[in-house]
Amino acid sequence: MTHDDHPRDDGPGQAAADERTKPDDGSPRTDGGRATDGGHAGATGELPATGPAEEEHHGFPPMSSVKRWFVTTNHKDVGILYIVTSLLFLVFGGVLALLMRVQLWAPRAAGEGILSALAYNQSVSIHGLIMVFWFLSPFAFGFANYVVPLQIGAKDLAFPRLNALSYWLYLFSGLLLGISFFQGGSFAGGWTMYAPLNIPAYTPSIGASTAILALLLFVVSVTVSSVNFLTSMHRMRAEGLTLRKLPLFTWSILLTVWMMLFAFAALLAALMILSADRLAGTTYFAAADAGGSLLWTHLFWFFGHPEVYIVFFPALGVMAETFQTFTGRRLVGRKWFIASMLLVALQSFVVWMHHMFLTSINLQIKTLFMATTIGISLPFDLMVFSLIYTTIKGRIRFLTPFLFSFGALLLFIIGGITGVFLGAVVLDYEFRGTYWVVAHFHYVMVAGVTALIGGLYYWYPKITGKMYDEFLGKVHFALYFVGFNLLYFPMFVVWETPRRVFEYDPAFAPWHKVATVGGFVLGASFLVMFYNLYTSLWAGEDADSSPWAHSTTAEWAIPSPPPLENYPGIPSYGDGSLSFLDRLGGSDRAADGGEVTDGVDVAGDHATDGGVADDRRATDGGTVATADPATAVERAGGKSHEHDAGDHGEGHGPSHASIWPFAVSVGAFLTLLGLSGLQEGAFAPGLEGGLYMALTGVGFLVGMASLVAFGRERFHGLEGPFGESWPFEGIENTKTGVWIFLASDVVLFGAFIGSYVFMRVASGWTTWEIVPGDPLPGLMNTYLLLTSSFTVVLALVAAEKGSRGGVIASLLTTFLLGVGFLFNKGIEWDHLFHEGLWLDTNVQASTFFLTTGLHAGHVIAGLIVTLYLIVRAWQGAYLEDSGSIEYFGLYWHFVDIVWLFLFPLFYIL
Amino acid sequence: MIGGGTLLGAPLIAAQTDIIPRGSRSAVFNQIYWVFLVLGTLVGVIVIGYMLYNAYKYRAGRAAGSERSAESGEGGPALGELPQGSGGGRKLALSFTLSAVIVISLILWTYGTLLYVESPPDAEESMEVEVIGFQFGWEFVYPNGNTTTGTLRVPTGERVRLRVTSRDVFHNFGIAELEAKADAIPGQYTDTWFIANESGTYQAQCYELCGAGHSYMNATVVAMEPAAFERWYANTTPANGTTNASPEDAATTTASTNHGAKADVAAAPGATAPRAAALETNAAEASAERSLAR
Repeated sequence: MTHDDHPRDDGPGQAAADERTKPDDGSPRTDGGRATDGGHAGATGELPATGPAEEEHHGFPPMSSVKRWFVTTNHKDVGILYIVTSLLFLVFGGVLALLMRVQLWAPRAAGEGILSALAYNQSVSIHGLIMVFWFLSPFAFGFANYVVPLQIGAKDLAFPRLNALSYWLYLFSGLLLGISFFQGGSFAGGWTMYAPLNIPAYTPSIGASTAILALLLFVVSVTVSSVNFLTSMHRMRAEGLTLRKLPLFTWSILLTVWMMLFAFAALLAALMILSADRLAGTTYFAAADAGGSLLWTHLFWFFGHPEVYIVFFPALGVMAETFQTFTGRRLVGRKWFIASMLLVALQSFVVWMHHMFLTSINLQIKTLFMATTIGISLPFDLMVFSLIYTTIKGRIRFLTPFLFSFGALLLFIIGGITGVFLGAVVLDYEFRGTYWVVAHFHYVMVAGVTALIGGLYYWYPKITGKMYDEFLGKVHFALYFVGFNLLYFPMFVVWETPRRVFEYDPAFAPWHKVATVGGFVLGASFLVMFYNLYTSLWAGEDADSSPWAHSTTAEWAIPSPPPLENYPGIPSYGDGSLSFLDRLGGSDRAADGGEVTDGVDVAGDHATDGGVADDRRATDGGTVATADPATAVERAGGKSHEHDAGDHGEGHGPSHASIWPFAVSVGAFLTLLGLSGLQEGAFAPGLEGGLYMALTGVGFLVGMASLVAFGRERFHGLEGPFGESWPFEGIENTKTGVWIFLASDVVLFGAFIGSYVFMRVASGWTTWEIVPGDPLPGLMNTYLLLTSSFTVVLALVAAEKGSRGGVIASLLTTFLLGVGFLFNKGIEWDHLFHEGLWLDTNVQASTFFLTTGLHAGHVIAGLIVTLYLIVRAWQGAYLEDSGSIEYFGLYWHFVDIVWLFLFPLFYIL
Repeated sequence: MIGGGTLLGAPLIAAQTDIIPRGSRSAVFNQIYWVFLVLGTLVGVIVIGYMLYNAYKYRAGRAAGSERSAESGEGGPALGELPQGSGGGRKLALSFTLSAVIVISLILWTYGTLLYVESPPDAEESMEVEVIGFQFGWEFVYPNGNTTTGTLRVPTGERVRLRVTSRDVFHNFGIAELEAKADAIPGQYTDTWFIANESGTYQAQCYELCGAGHSYMNATVVAMEPAAFERWYANTTPANGTTNASPEDAATTTASTNHGAKADVAAAPGATAPRAAALETNAAEASAERSLAR
């Protein structure tokens, strides 16, 4: 348990280390000098403690520089960006909620109150969308970004630039959503976006399209992020950190991300179809005869129910961690806790129809989904009991993070019990569309928020290096808890109020008034939090590496805030507890070691410099590799990393800066903003339409140029494995990433194909008029694609044999075959257009054009990559490392396989 | 496989006929709701009480002082250890089993009622009315083809079956007091039924957000004594329905809620002119219906 008996030279600090078994040194608080040392409090106001030295070494601006935040790819920076941004969205969504609560002060006739009917509907819709998408998940993923790499012992995520890209896409998707309000009103069809209210015939404003596109962009961001997290968490865990041994927060995130990968792919399909309906005029959701309306509910809830757990799991993780830390006891039944989460994650994909008990689904299906719903509620019972039993015989310290976690558990119990009511189908029939549902899911989801707020206080000292004000923290909790219950509990009492109306039975008015008051108390509590956290940045006491007793996870073993490269060595749990290995040999570690080896020095250092010292460590210690000038150059983004392959991760000197994720996101933002002006596949004539068209064009150019620059940039990420990589030991990061991405793409195509089958069945399988009357072009295309798959294999073989000419020739053939495919398809489509078939002709045409169009989009993306590969191969690349060709091949084969499904489905059956 | 649940449920009901709530939907709902509410409150109070009790009992005394000294407590989790759990698995398993038994038996109990609700035994004897939702009102088509808008008349004490659909967007037809509810989905029919035991008027509402007039998308359900209903029904014809009120009457009706909705929609930037006009007509019809009903 202690490190003293630890055979390895785990560097520094440990030796001197105290009986408290801290792998890290300094606990300044025991060190009397620390407290009196107010001197540097002012000095540390300079968060930017990463001085010019760092810039020199990393080509990476300090935190005080605005530039840093635009170019950063470091997981901790991105985490901070996520947290701050998501809190802004919390305010946005919260204000919308308060507007609704004001409107609900009394039952209103139309035009009364502060909101018009449509404005109220917009508030309802966008409040829901923001809280679920733009606040909850990103807030949790702020912590995930910051903490998960630390907990698994990685220096960063596997694809740091993709991480930055996820953030920027997220931010810009949020901006799009904000803009939608100024385009004739935002989306007003509820966060569930039920069809066909979601199509332009019923919600014609441009802003409504923009909101949908904003969500689409958000989903893209989530997909990028999921691939990144999964690759990192599976491939880059420290030695000894098998999946079973992962800390619970990391476990919760791991399962969350797996759910996200598949659930959001279904939402992506739904939103792509909806966007096509809104912008290009396809007729999926308008098709009453083909079950268009029901199709939406299936697609949405197939995503929507896992989403409930996606937003709640991270909160569970935070609860588990904080319960352990603040009760001083390990979690009771940890194994079962994890098993429960795993079970829930799996089951979450088979409960969606319980949102549809009142649709036309039959009794058998209702029975099945009632059973799965009850099934999924049971593991939560176990988790709740596990948390409660953990407190027994503990020594509970009621500090702010624990208060929030404890409060969250209490609220979640109420949310859970009221959820059982909904599981009884007979009761659900009557609760459907009422405030019972509203109250229930707020008790569950906002219980999640409560725990995450606890997480914010928990990790605040780690992230900022400062302690928040404990008294104000407790005031926040008191206001929050009272406000929460005042707000949501009355909703149970007057549950017969229909959802999303502002004209209700006057007898309910007193309770709605209480709820409104509660809403304002809840809102005010956040003002206390913002004040507390903001002023503490300057006035707060310095936090040492672990301000909490009984914290266990690795992030507490390093300074607060952690240095850029996180660890003073390679983290390992190889011998059962955390230690930092030094595989580079003594000399390199000297800088760092010097600081930590000798305990006295450490204490002294910290006492005098406080937070600054930590950052200095990033400058000096972290960059041990500066001993090697070559590596230093490389840090600046110079060289490929082959030459120091012999080095261990430590010496790699990963890059930290790239502007291209930001630029790509700007391009995507402008493109989608421009596209929002489309209706029925055309821009409106006149100035406005022209403006939208120009925006689309500019955005597309910016995006493509940035993507090319992104691809050309030499960016040096981390390559595992560092210890545990199950189950992807033998597969490099990029390949793992491609596989994971393809898994989500399978769901995307699956949802498209499923939609087609669903609509065809609904309107009569045999009476369905097959749109491409002639299967011949499809058959030709099948051969073309199959051949092109073969030539990609040839390219790989040529690369492995070192034949540059072979690589180029094979890739070129692939490219030409792909172009042939598109050309052939172009002729086919042109033919169909001349027959008078267009996307909006009928649902048969819509499904055909959209599904095969999506496939063609994949082919085009593949061809762009092929072109890039050809150019690089021309320059002599890939002969030594054929990885890129192999990864592209995976993608290309996948695209072919999809076609093998599409061809019979659309041309023959 | 899917039918398994149904088969399983059937003998259960046969065995426990007395326990399974039956009757009007309100009666069924109320019985089950109150059992759930009492049990739920009980479980909630016990679990939360136990949680608070433990939290109080095992609080760290003030004497324990700072976080630092808390650390010295023996045997707690320590920094850098590999995550592990505490014992207590048996207790956990026990409470889990207990909760599972409570939840599963409750749900099974209600499942019997679900089967009853889904296929009420005397389905053939009842009247069936088609309910068509539209932005923003309800149209009712009686078996004889008579069509009304905004008011549904039914006989008391008789089971009334509804076939619900929509003409435009996704709505949900619900009569809160009678506990009947069904989605109104364009292109699909959903079924529900209710029994109004007391004569009088009830309010039906839309329970799915359907556009600017959603808050006011109401209809009146008038439950009449069977004899009175028969008299009224005999006089209806498919052609003109019961409404003879002229549009002028409707227009002069004092601002009903439907009027309000219409005005609001017309003001909404998104609403297209034809739709607003259509809505106006509907609102007028609805008002006419209503004034007649009074």
